[in-house]
Amino acid sequence: MNPPAEFRSFRLLRKNLANRPYRNLAAIFAYAIIAATLFSSQFLINGAQQSLDAGISRMGADILVVPEEYTAAGQNVILIGQPNSFFFDDAGFEKISRIPGVAKASPQIYIATLVASCCAAPVQMIAIDQEHDFTVSAWLKNNPEVMLGKDDIIIGSSIVQNVGNDLAFYGHTFHVVGVLERTGMGIDNSVFTRFEDAYVMADESELKAVKKLTIPPGMVSAVLVKVDPGASPADVAREIQEQVPGTKTITPNGLLNAVSGQIGAVMRILYGASIAVTIVAIPLLGLISAMVAQERMKEVSILRALGARKTFVVRLMLAESFSLAIIGGLAGIAAASGFLVFFQDFIAVTLKIPFITPSPQALFIGGGSALLLSIGIGGISSLYPGILITRSEPYETIRKGES
Amino acid sequence: MIKITGVTKSYSTSSSEVRAVDDAYLDVKQGEFILILGRSGSGKSTFLGMLAGLIRPTNGVVRFEEMDISILPEDQIAGLRAKKIGFVFQFSGLIPTITALENVMLPTLFCREGPGCRSRAVDLLKKVGMSDRAGAYPRTLSSGEMKRVAIARALINEPLLLIADEPTGDLDVDTEFEIMELFRQLNHEGTTIVMVTHNPDLVPYATRTYTMNRGKLAERNGPGAFGTGMNGPAFQQESLDLP
Repeated sequence: MNPPAEFRSFRLLRKNLANRPYRNLAAIFAYAIIAATLFSSQFLINGAQQSLDAGISRMGADILVVPEEYTAAGQNVILIGQPNSFFFDDAGFEKISRIPGVAKASPQIYIATLVASCCAAPVQMIAIDQEHDFTVSAWLKNNPEVMLGKDDIIIGSSIVQNVGNDLAFYGHTFHVVGVLERTGMGIDNSVFTRFEDAYVMADESELKAVKKLTIPPGMVSAVLVKVDPGASPADVAREIQEQVPGTKTITPNGLLNAVSGQIGAVMRILYGASIAVTIVAIPLLGLISAMVAQERMKEVSILRALGARKTFVVRLMLAESFSLAIIGGLAGIAAASGFLVFFQDFIAVTLKIPFITPSPQALFIGGGSALLLSIGIGGISSLYPGILITRSEPYETIRKGES
Repeated sequence: MIKITGVTKSYSTSSSEVRAVDDAYLDVKQGEFILILGRSGSGKSTFLGMLAGLIRPTNGVVRFEEMDISILPEDQIAGLRAKKIGFVFQFSGLIPTITALENVMLPTLFCREGPGCRSRAVDLLKKVGMSDRAGAYPRTLSSGEMKRVAIARALINEPLLLIADEPTGDLDVDTEFEIMELFRQLNHEGTTIVMVTHNPDLVPYATRTYTMNRGKLAERNGPGAFGTGMNGPAFQQESLDLP
């Protein structure tokens, strides 16, 4: 292919990169590892945080009150949808409703289903009291075409069914009227129904199901609390625990801490790996660049003898380094994105963390910062070769090359 | 064009000071072909480096068109080299990642206002007999071919002065002859040439000849002063201290 009428420095840069494939591929691989490690860490953290935000927002509650001995089970219901059944006296609900600072309180009954026709494993059924509910009803308000009537259920996004399908739990047939958006939390693996239908299902289970379901009368599993505007959820939660003995309160902050605790170890490993990779990569890439600079010292000296200024040579070296960093960074981010999106459910289940694919904005920021880190390392690692080149005596170097 | 006055270049070692070039004088006029003869280590390449502004003299003045380049800032000297000085090295000095044609066009990167462009590069490759190898990479060229491309590259910005440092040092006799004929042709066309070599057989090509011995530059008596080269009587009398 003929070169264009003018010879531009970009052409020299492009051909320098294209015609030194082995060392450039090694550098690209190193940059890709750095970017992929950092991007993966941010992807998982953002996914967990956004999942938690979405789940808590869907729940719409400031406080979740559960029996003291079932605190962990309550958290698991919300975070990962691990099915469970537990109860406490609904007199507690009455007490909670009257506590100062409580704006709304809504009781719920949690039922772990048997293996259902819909699903490979049991799911969490959550029965709501429509008179007091402010979680599902908030969703219904935004979806006015959906009515939760007799034997109707609204299902989480992980339950692979469509609106209009019928599903049987404990031998009782329910009709799917709505599917919630994915949150990455336990709600995705839950089925919402009304108190009345849950009681009928329990009554019928002795005859229709392989195992009898018992919902003790006058008992609920949890109470969701919305506090008054201006009231402190932490203060109200403390008050609830004092006034309703045998209960434990769970707040979004508490959930966040629980999740942080769960993923903290993994995050520490990922961030540690990012830092370790970076610490190793800078001198390694610097060494590669220095070796390349030594190898190219004669070439650079020739450029200077032909009239190139020092700044041109340094810019050329930096441009080569930045190009490799950008190519490697983008390749690493693309590879990590593909891997994480493909295996994100498996990773979330393995780590027992709530997870949704981070928003495009978060992905952009995560990818951008990983790319910037690669470019920064590229710049730092080419500093020494740059200095080496500008300090060299071009003619001495050329003459050495001749001997 | 170039006036060198009392130029010295010294290097300090741990025990002593070495004068690579010692109090040299030279006045090069437009259209001349100056040959500097000397053995390896005599200081002739250091002298050429100072002539091109690649090495700063310890003492003395190097004037290029009335400009003292020994005190010019480095960037200005680089600009001067790009515009007005062509350089041919002992080895080819081609950049391995670009083709012969691109190598010839390379100096135009540093001299935008020059005449350099593809058509001129093609013409120059034709002039040096390399037009059929324009798309070849340096690794596929012979030593002689690389040298021709390097000469074409040195001429791309139409320099006032062509400096050649042992340009035939690594070539066989036939290729050396071809290259020297090319230099002769360029000189006849008006290019001023300063060339160093250790080969006295090349003296007939020069309009003036100098010897460099242990850093001392001395003028000989015009073309053919060395008669039949290194074995000629004049050469032996002046003792170049050749090995």
